[in-house]
Formats: sequence, C-alpha cells, structure tokens
Amino acid sequence: MQHLYRQIYADPRFHELEMKRGVLSWTLAIIVLATVAQYIAATAYFHEWFSATISPESSVTWGIVIGMVDCVVYILFVGFYIWRANNEFDNLKDAIVADAHRLAGDKGEK
Amino acid sequence: MIVSRFSRVGTALYGLLVSAAALADEPVKGTDKTAIAMFFVFIAITLGITYWAAGRTKTTKDFYAAGGNIKGWQNGLAITGDWCSAAAFLGISGLIYTGGFDGLIYSVPPFAAWPLMMFLFADRLRNLGKYTIADIISLRFSRVPTRTLVASAGLVFVVTYIIAQMVGAGKLVSFLFHIRYEYAVCIVGALIIVYVAFGGMLATTWVQLIKAVLLLSGASFITFMVLKHFDFSMSALYKTAIDIHPKGLAIMSPGLILTDPVSSISLGLAMLFGATSLPHVLMRFFTVPNAKEARKSAFFAATFIGYFYLLTFVIGYGAIVFVTKNPQFLDAGGLIVGGDNMSAIYLAKAVGGDVFLGFISAVAFATIVAVVAGLTIAGASAISHDLYANVFRHGKVTEGEVVKVSRIAALALGFLAVLLGILFEKQNIAYMVVLPFTISSTVFFPLLFLSMYWKRLTTKGVVWGGWTGLLAAVAMLILGPTIWKDILHHAAPIFPYKYPTLFSMTTSFAAIIIFSLLDKSARAKQEIASFDDQFVRSQTGLGAEAPTQH
Repeated sequence: MQHLYRQIYADPRFHELEMKRGVLSWTLAIIVLATVAQYIAATAYFHEWFSATISPESSVTWGIVIGMVDCVVYILFVGFYIWRANNEFDNLKDAIVADAHRLAGDKGEK
Repeated sequence: MIVSRFSRVGTALYGLLVSAAALADEPVKGTDKTAIAMFFVFIAITLGITYWAAGRTKTTKDFYAAGGNIKGWQNGLAITGDWCSAAAFLGISGLIYTGGFDGLIYSVPPFAAWPLMMFLFADRLRNLGKYTIADIISLRFSRVPTRTLVASAGLVFVVTYIIAQMVGAGKLVSFLFHIRYEYAVCIVGALIIVYVAFGGMLATTWVQLIKAVLLLSGASFITFMVLKHFDFSMSALYKTAIDIHPKGLAIMSPGLILTDPVSSISLGLAMLFGATSLPHVLMRFFTVPNAKEARKSAFFAATFIGYFYLLTFVIGYGAIVFVTKNPQFLDAGGLIVGGDNMSAIYLAKAVGGDVFLGFISAVAFATIVAVVAGLTIAGASAISHDLYANVFRHGKVTEGEVVKVSRIAALALGFLAVLLGILFEKQNIAYMVVLPFTISSTVFFPLLFLSMYWKRLTTKGVVWGGWTGLLAAVAMLILGPTIWKDILHHAAPIFPYKYPTLFSMTTSFAAIIIFSLLDKSARAKQEIASFDDQFVRSQTGLGAEAPTQH
C-alpha cells in the first residue's frame, strides 16, 4: 500500500485536488464559524442586535430571522460541498488512484 | 441460541411491562390509552426488527457498522434519530417556554456543527476509520495508550449522556403512564439491552430511523397546527407569546437564561465543537458502503436536522401561547405539571387532542430510546473493539470473541444505565447534557482535528495532552457551581463557571501541542514521517474498509 501512497503523493494532480478541496472546505467553514461567532457575540454582549424587530408593526425580531436564515444557509452549504465533492473531487481522485495503480502495475509491484 | 435467548428476554420484558402497568399508582385515564397503545405498537415493531436483525449480526462489522450496507437515505434518517435527543425536542421547547430566545442557543450552534463536521471531518473520517473514532485517532500512534485514552473518554461521554437521557425517559414514562419512576427506567434499560445486544447496529439503525420519521412528522404537525391558529403569521404568534409570557418582550431577545458573557461563549463553544465530534454520531458514517453514500447520508441528515431546528422556532413559542394560561396543564402555583420539559407534550394535546397527545408521548419515548441505543452501541464498541480487542488482546482475537464481548458490554451498559438513572433521579438533567458536550469538545474535537490536520502531532501529545484535557474538564465540572455548590452543598464553588469549555478546550489544545513539540523520540520522528501516507489515505480512501458482501 505504501508504494501507492508515495506514487499518489508524487502526482501533481493530487496536490491540485487537495488544494481545491481545502479552499472550498475552509472558505465554507470560516463563514459558518463567523455566523456562530456573531450569534454568540450577540447573545453575550450585543443584545440589541437581535432585539430589533424587522418592521415596526411586526413582532418578529432580527434574532429569530438570523437564526432561521442560518439554518437554511447551513443546509445549502452542505449540499453545495457534497455536489462539488461528488462531481468534481471524486472524479479527479478516481483518475489519480487509477493511474497510481497502473504505474505500480507497470513496475510489477502489485 | 441467540434466538432462544432473545425470546426469553422478550418474555421477561413483556412480563415487566404488564406488572408495571398493574402496579400503576393511579387508575389509567382515557387519555393515556392511546399513548399506551402507540407505545406498545412501537415496542412490538422495534422488537420484530431486532429479531430480524439478530439473525444478520454475526461479525464485528455487522455488529458495529451493520455490515456497511445501510443506504445513504436510511443512514441520513438514522443520524437524525441519533442526533435529535430528548434535549433537542423536549429540552429546547422547555427552555424557550421559560427563557424565550436563549433556548435557541441549544439549536443554532449545534446545527452549525453539522456543516463544520462535513467540511473538516466527514470525508477524512470515512477514509481513515473503521468502526470508532479511536480507529482514526490511533492510526499513526502507539495503539495501547492512545486507544486507552480515547475509549476512556468515550465511556465518560457515553455514561454522562446516558444518565441525562435515562432520567428524562424515566420521568416522562412514569408521568405519562402513571407507573413508578424505577419501573420506567427498567423498561427503557431492558429495551436498550435487547436492541443493542441482539440486533447490534442494524437494529439500532432501524430504531433510530423509525424514531426520526415519527419525530419529524409529529413536530411538523404541531408546527402546522400552531401556525394555522395564527393564519400562518409568525408575527401574530410571537405577538401573542409576548403578551402572554410574564417576561414580555424580553423573550424575543437574548439575556434571560445566559446572564454573563463567559457562560454564553463557553456554552456556545461546547455546543458547536462538541457536536462536531460526537462518537455515536460519527460511527454512523461507517455503516454505509462508500464515501458517496456517506455524503448522501450527511446531506439527508443535515436537511432533516435543519428542518427540525426550524420547527423549534415555532414549537417553543407555541408552547408559551397554548400552555401558559391553560389551567389543565398547570399546578396550583402556575407551574407546568411534570416540569418545563413537558411543555411540548402539552402543546401537542392543546393543538391535536388526546389521540395526538398519545402519539407525541410515544414519539418522546422513541426519541429517548433511540438515542440511548446509539450511545450504548458507541460505549459497547469502545469497550469491545478499542479496549478488549486492541488494548488487552493486542489485536489477537477472533470475530466471535469480540462480538461476544460487545454483547456483554451492551448488557453491562444497560444495567449501569438503569442504576445511574435511579441514582440521579433528582438531578437537573438539562445540566447533565452539558457534561458530554464538554468532554466531546475538550477531548474528541482537538484530537480528531489535530490528528487529521497537524503533521507534528505525536503519541505523547495525544496521550498526555488528551488526559490533561479530560481531567481538566472533569475537574472544572466537579469544582464548578453546579456540582460543588448545588449538589455537594459547599459554600462556594472553587471553579467559578458553570460551563468550562472555554477553559478546558484551550487547556487541551495547548497541552496536546506542547507535549507533541517536546517529544523528540525516535518514535515521534516515525509518526511525523507517516503523516504523508495517512494524508493520502485521508484524501483518497485507499486502504479503507470495504462493505461486507451478503
């Protein structure tokens, strides 16, 4: 197994895969962390952010709206990540692994 | 033999239920007949499934991962069933009922854990692990000390989480069916033992799946009825809630429950990072055949869980409107009969009548049973797979031996759950839920994260840092206001904060990093060198487990 790992590690496309997946994962993760940080900061220090109502005649506060929007955004993020992983990352990964197997096979070290 | 043992336990359980019903303190009222009927239907169906699953649970892979043959959508529903504990359904409604907006800190940060886990952990976890999180953490490191640490922390996690669920279950069942608390706890414990010891992960999966369907449909119906009452205007619902609630407008903004910033931040961190690394939820990712199905199950789970949390925004405030002024649900002092956690149950009665009350009672019961089953299988795998097979026997065991130990472990955990459930009857359960999340955010999250992302991590870092974190978390909890002052009746707490995660998680990260950096041994050099191989495996899944062919 180890020679396959080395083979793959030497493949520039592997580092392309890792980079693309990393950029997507961390961008989305940081946005999610920022929304939670804002939520916690508002609960801890800035109550007035969440206490304002969305319009004078409504009883719905921004805190409720932001909480609900966050939930929907998280679902969409998960969906988007999975869509990219299934359609893009997996294909690239399969190609890299197949080539590594082929190269290892050529050298006769199955 | 399994089958005959199974039927004997089944008969014993039935006898217990009948005698428990006969010993009821009060005559059974009409309202409870539907509840009892639905409760029996649920038990009959799940026991039937367990019987079927027992015939298919032979190898360790069957026992811990249902053979790796669960479909994506099924696993998505089962994860939903594993994730949404009684704390999420009854607890959040109860918290919103008393404290309004602050109750939502139990829904938004834990749900944010879901995308976070997906982006940072899910693919790598699936590619590196086999059955448990200890498999992933110990991959590069010395097997015995690493697994001992992770399994010990896992057992602390499982036991504290189970106590909270058992106490909740006991109170609920004894209240709804008018039986003694001890009998109620015994019924739950007996069911769990049967599901897990005989049916393994396959039975657990179906119990969780059924529970998720029941919970989502019940919660949807409550939400629909509440909104219908207000002509589908959220504003009208909140306005009525503000008018009725003694705290008035304050229920729409933070500050009623979480009064100091350190509590808010610490609890938020525990909920967020703790929820990314729950051992019983993460092990569900090993029940599907491949990474694609794992992702599919993650998407289903995120959608269902997100949808459920959206419903809590209506259900919690709905309880304020329909339960607060309704004398049939309140005692002489104006407090809810049976405690705040009953608010969602009464709301069900207010909007759906007696039949729906029966349905929701059965849902609440199924909720607890499914979560305890998931926790029990996580605990049984920590004992049999991590401690017995890998630590005591150094991997030299047969499949049959490990499965046998798993079944015994499930039995022992079930008995322990009953015992602790009875011992902790009078304790505050909302607080008990904080304990496992503190352990998870302090021990599992840093170890999983650093083992996957930090090349320089070594065995010393994992073991010394992990134990430091675990002991720090436990010490801060014991010396804190809830246990030291309220339970042990000392004058003042030694550690001032109720929620220690801010401090315990920082300590844990710092200790793991410092001990790793100080480790200059030859072993450490090897471990650092093997990171690249692990990294390739974590990205490609090469060398990971394949599903069992049936």
